[in-house]
Formats: sequence, C-alpha cells, structure tokens
Amino acid sequence: MGKSRKKVQIVILLMIVILGGYAIISNVNGSGGKPEVGDKAPSFNLLGLDGSVHNLDEYKGKAMVINFWGTWCKPCVKEMPALQAQSEKWKDKDVVVIGINAGEDVMSVDNFVKQANISFPILLDPNKEAIQSYGISPLPTTLFVAADGRIKKIHLGELDLSTLDYEIEQLVSNQ
Amino acid sequence: MIPDILSFKNTKCECGHQNPVGTVLCEACGKPISKEDQESDKLLEMRYDGMARRSQRSTPNMIDRIWNFFSSVKIAVYMIVLTLLGSMFGTIFPQESTFLNIDAATYYPETYGTAGLIYYKLGLSHTYESWWFVLLLVMIGASLVICSLDRVLPLYKALSKRKIRKHMQFLTRQKVVYQTRLDEDEEVWINNIVPALKKRGYRVHTDGSALLAEKYRFSRWGPYILHIGLIIFLLAVLARGLPGLNMDQHLAFPEGEIKPIPNTSFYLKNEKFTVEYYTEDDLPEEFKGKGKMLPKLFQTQATLYECTADCKDPSKEPQLVEVDSHPIEVNDPLNYKGLKAYQFDFDTNPILRSVTPSLIEKKTGKDIGQFKLDIRNPERTYQVGEYTLNLVEKYMDFGMNDLGEPVSISPNPNAPSFLFLIKGPNLPAEGVQYFYFPKQIDKQRFQQDIINEKLAGAYNLFELDVDGMSNVDFSMSTTYLNIRVDKVMPFVWLGSAIGMLGLVMGFYWQHRRIWIRIDEGDLTLAAHTNKNWFGIRKEITVVLQKVNMEVDEKSLDNGGNQV
Repeated sequence: MGKSRKKVQIVILLMIVILGGYAIISNVNGSGGKPEVGDKAPSFNLLGLDGSVHNLDEYKGKAMVINFWGTWCKPCVKEMPALQAQSEKWKDKDVVVIGINAGEDVMSVDNFVKQANISFPILLDPNKEAIQSYGISPLPTTLFVAADGRIKKIHLGELDLSTLDYEIEQLVSNQ
Repeated sequence: MIPDILSFKNTKCECGHQNPVGTVLCEACGKPISKEDQESDKLLEMRYDGMARRSQRSTPNMIDRIWNFFSSVKIAVYMIVLTLLGSMFGTIFPQESTFLNIDAATYYPETYGTAGLIYYKLGLSHTYESWWFVLLLVMIGASLVICSLDRVLPLYKALSKRKIRKHMQFLTRQKVVYQTRLDEDEEVWINNIVPALKKRGYRVHTDGSALLAEKYRFSRWGPYILHIGLIIFLLAVLARGLPGLNMDQHLAFPEGEIKPIPNTSFYLKNEKFTVEYYTEDDLPEEFKGKGKMLPKLFQTQATLYECTADCKDPSKEPQLVEVDSHPIEVNDPLNYKGLKAYQFDFDTNPILRSVTPSLIEKKTGKDIGQFKLDIRNPERTYQVGEYTLNLVEKYMDFGMNDLGEPVSISPNPNAPSFLFLIKGPNLPAEGVQYFYFPKQIDKQRFQQDIINEKLAGAYNLFELDVDGMSNVDFSMSTTYLNIRVDKVMPFVWLGSAIGMLGLVMGFYWQHRRIWIRIDEGDLTLAAHTNKNWFGIRKEITVVLQKVNMEVDEKSLDNGGNQV
C-alpha cells in the first residue's frame, strides 16, 4: 500500500508540474501574441506578385530579411534600393530578402515594383494577416531571421545600405 | 527500520487498533494517542476526527516534503493572500490587455508619469499574464488537490470504520456531555431511545448497551466538492491558452464586403449597417442644443459564411457557404457554434467602392460608352466603343512627393485618382494621357482639367464623367465587430455550479453525532457537531424528553468555544 501511495503522489506531482509549466509558458509567451527577438518567425501563406503562393517553408535553411512596406510610406520607398542591392549581394550566400506589402492592391504594388526595378520576392497581404501575426505597427519594419527560423533582430524604421549590410553579416556569421 | 517499529508501537491503541503515524485520536475507540493528551482533561481536538493526514510520515523523504508543503492549509492561506495582493497591484492602472493598440513601453510613462514607468518596468501592466501570478494560481491549484486528497481519504475511513462503543475519555471530553444514573434495564432503555432519534432524522447503530446516532454526514464532503469545482474552474481558465479555445479580436467590416475572420475558416459580410440617433427632444437636458449626436440604435445585418474549399490558398477564390445570419445589436451578438460577433463601434464615413463613368467627346457632348471602374481592384484595360483605355497608374490617396511627382500618401481611398492612356480614332497612335479623379471634390482640388490640358495638349478631346449617383457605389459605413470564441465558458459554469453545490452542502447542514454508552447503570451521552451547538443541545433535550428524562439544555454544555 505504501508503494502504490508513493506512485500516486509522484503521478499527481508530475501532472501538476506539466500542467503548471504549460500554463506559465503559454501565458508568458502568449502576452500580446507579438513575436519578439528569439522567437520563431510566424508562418504565413501569401500570394506573391509572381502569381504563386509563398510561405516560410520554401525558405527553410536560409537566412531571411523580411521587410514590411507600403508604396505610400516614404521611408519604405527610400530604403527599397538598399534592400534591392543587398538582396543581389547576398543572393549566393543563402540569404533571401522578402518584401511583404501592407494591404495594398496588386496594381499599386506592381506598378511600384516595376518602376523601382525590384527583383526580390514581393508578397501581398490584402487582409493584413501577416501584419497581424507579426504584430507590425509602424512601417517600415524589417525582421532579420536566422536560418533556424528564429528572429535575430527587429528593426523599426528606415534602413540604410551600411546598416543593412552589417545586420545581414551578423545574421550569416552567427550560424 | 527502528523508527518505524517504534512508531508502530506508539500508535497502537489499547483497544488493539493499529493507527497510522500522526493520529491524534484512536481511529476505532477514540481514545487519545499521546500520553500528555491522555492525562489532560481539556476538550478533545476533533479536527478531521483526530485522524492522521495521509502524508504524515515519521521519516519524510523529498517527495513527502513537497507533498507536505502543498498539504498545509497555512501555506495555502499565505498563497491566497499573496494572490490577492498581486491582483490588487494589477488594478492600479489599466492593464495592457484592455487596449486595442498601444505601445506599452511609451504609453504608461506618458500617461501616468514616473509611476507609470515603474508600473510598466515591474511588469504590473500585464499582472495577470505574468509568470509569478500564474505560478501562484498553479500552486493554489496544487494545494487544493493535495489538501483535499490528504484529508478526504482518512476522513472517509474515520467516518466509515469505527467502533460504536467509544472510549470513556473520548466521550467525557466532548463539548456536549450528559451523565446520569440509570435505573432501567440498559438494553431496553437503548431500544426506547432509538425511535426518538430516528424520528429526528438520525441513523442509529447499536452495540449492546452502546449507541451511535448520526445525521447529515454528507455535509462533511461539502468543502471537498467545492474544491473539485474550483479545480475544474482553474483548469478551464488555464485551457484558454490552448489554440482554438479562446479568441478575442476587433475587426472592421465595410458595408457590402465579405471579409475573412483571421485564424478561423469563417467570413463575415456586413449586409447593411443602420444607425438611429436620438432626436433633439429625446436628449437629456444637459445635452440639448449642443449639437450632440447620440446613437439610439446601431445594428449590423450580418451574414456568416464558412469556407469549404480553397481556404488557405490565396491564389484562389475561397468557396463560401452561408451558415448564419443575424441582425447584430449591442448585447445581441451573432452566435454560431460558439463564435460570437458583438457590435462594438461604427464609422459612418462613406468609402467609394466603384464608379461607372461615361467616356464623353467634349466638343459634341456625345456619350461613347460606360465602364465600371473598381476603385480598389481596377482592370488594366477597358474597351469603350472604339476606344481603348489603358490604366497606367492609380493612386488611392493622391498627393505629391518632395520631387513633385504624383504619389499615394496613404493606402486609404481618400482621394483616388487614375491615369489612363486613351487610344482610338482621331488620337495619336501612342495615345493620350488622361487623369481621372472620381470624387468631384478632388477634381477641383487637384485641378483635373488643367492637368489634362497639359498632358494631352491639342488632343484633350475626351473626358470621363459620372452621370448621376446611380453610377456611384459607396460603402456607406463601416461596422466594427468584436469577434469572440470562448469554448471553456461551459466548464467555468460547471466548476462554479459544483463549487456552489459544495458550499450549500457545507453551509446549510451540519454533521451531528451522538454517542451513548451505559456501564452498569452509568449512562454517558456525548455529542459532536461542526457547528450550531445550540441546535444539537436542543435536539438532545427533545430526544431525552421522549424517554422521560428532563434535562436542562445548558447543563449539557461542557465548556469550550461553542457557537
């Protein structure tokens, strides 16, 4: 009887630890639902300007620079050439630059992309799903995501060429 | 081994019963176990009927120590007090979760100054989601489970396995005692009193010249049933964190558009939004003549759709099936299988959705033809009569940048404008450019005619014009709905109901026991209850009257703290 009682005690204590641990972790991580540095980049499923659907899986194993932007946002437009230049420079080193447009229509985005000669993938987010899951408030916001899918840095506001270069270098060298 | 043997020796009662470590009163006959207690003549400690708590050991190991920590009521009280204090801190300033969209790091210092900064830095702006608060709740939950288990099993045993003839000390040291000399035959007297006790609702067990009468034992389980209710309540609250069980979001639905509800397979269409305002006469005195507009009613006629195929593929149109429709008003949400849409707010600024302009030859005023121009998702080319209109550029909110180039200054269709390239008879082969502002106010503000004259020069032969309001499609208003899913609510109610049942059981009934033993004509009667001692004393006098014994109610009182 003593032995079975001890087993019951251990089982109950274990259940409390598991349930309690789950409760604490889900509550602490779940606050606001906004991913932070060190978290996994939330997945998305968005239509690209190329007409096909893109998600995080196809960039598995690659470092990512995810830029949230809009054609009407001046600093976003200003930093586009820098993003374009860096996307070409790092292309062969397993770094992808992805632009996610914040809720505009295809034509506005398409016109802009053609004018600005942008070749990196541009995704459309008409229902602002990614904007919401990434908790983006000001534009532009740029996330630097390491090859393991974890967010290394979140940059709010305009990026210049050298900062961008430095951040990508950090991202690649850390692997 | 040796302490075990010693403890065995110590807990064996003279009646032959082997008691577990920590027992205060013998489980069988009720005689006090410890020597000091046996020599004392104070009232007995009847808590848990003198049983050992389940986890009490002579040599506790690590697990026993943890178990004993949570088993302690004192610790539980401390944890509850700490939780109450924590909850109080959380109410000093509004919690982050009460705001829809703020940056907490700047909001608190800006609104509340240094105190706000400290509040935010301490993490009190999200008290109820902080690790320490949840840990306290988890520990209270653990304490509830372990306290209950540790007490309810021994108590059950104590109340079901017992001797009817109790030890003399057990009887004389109760709070209600009556002793007298009996002249009648012992067993006859016992048999006489049995019906009187039964009439009062007692269950009576006899053993020769000893008797035990008992009623409302179930009230002893009240606290434990309350604990079960509380545990269900706590588990339900914790389960809210599981995906799909809880959702709370605020979404905008412009009239006439089907919009997806994120993280669900549902889409909602605001068919029509109506708002009625109070007339000037209906307004209270203090609002009259101030031009205040107070809404009397706002209602969203909503249709809910469920996506059946192509839901996750943005390159395809989702296939929707209508599942529900409801006129949503404040406090009257749409409710479909636990998904609720509450009326939250509205915006009556109309949004231009599409226009159907005519291409008109300026000189003759001849109407060449119409086409429908969707503001948000226009076509690239339109064919009007013999003319082709290529849409070159569009701006949702027309403006100029620092270089004087046309740009969109926001993503909202505040001042939509379109640049067409018109080709056709009487026009140059490369076409002429034509700027079109669908909104009349923008036409004047941005001087559409002057722009077009500059762009087309001599070929400024055509214009786009909307003929009447029937050719303009507005979304008249936008409704804001609060979309909620709360699947754990039934369990919260269930937990509360069970808890309430436990409370009622414990509060409105008392477990009453009366013991009687007669030793060669000496009658000893003792009684125990967990509350309402006055009631049990009165009951005993009534019962004794039935066997022709007049006893003064007060003389039954054996001292002690009796309520």
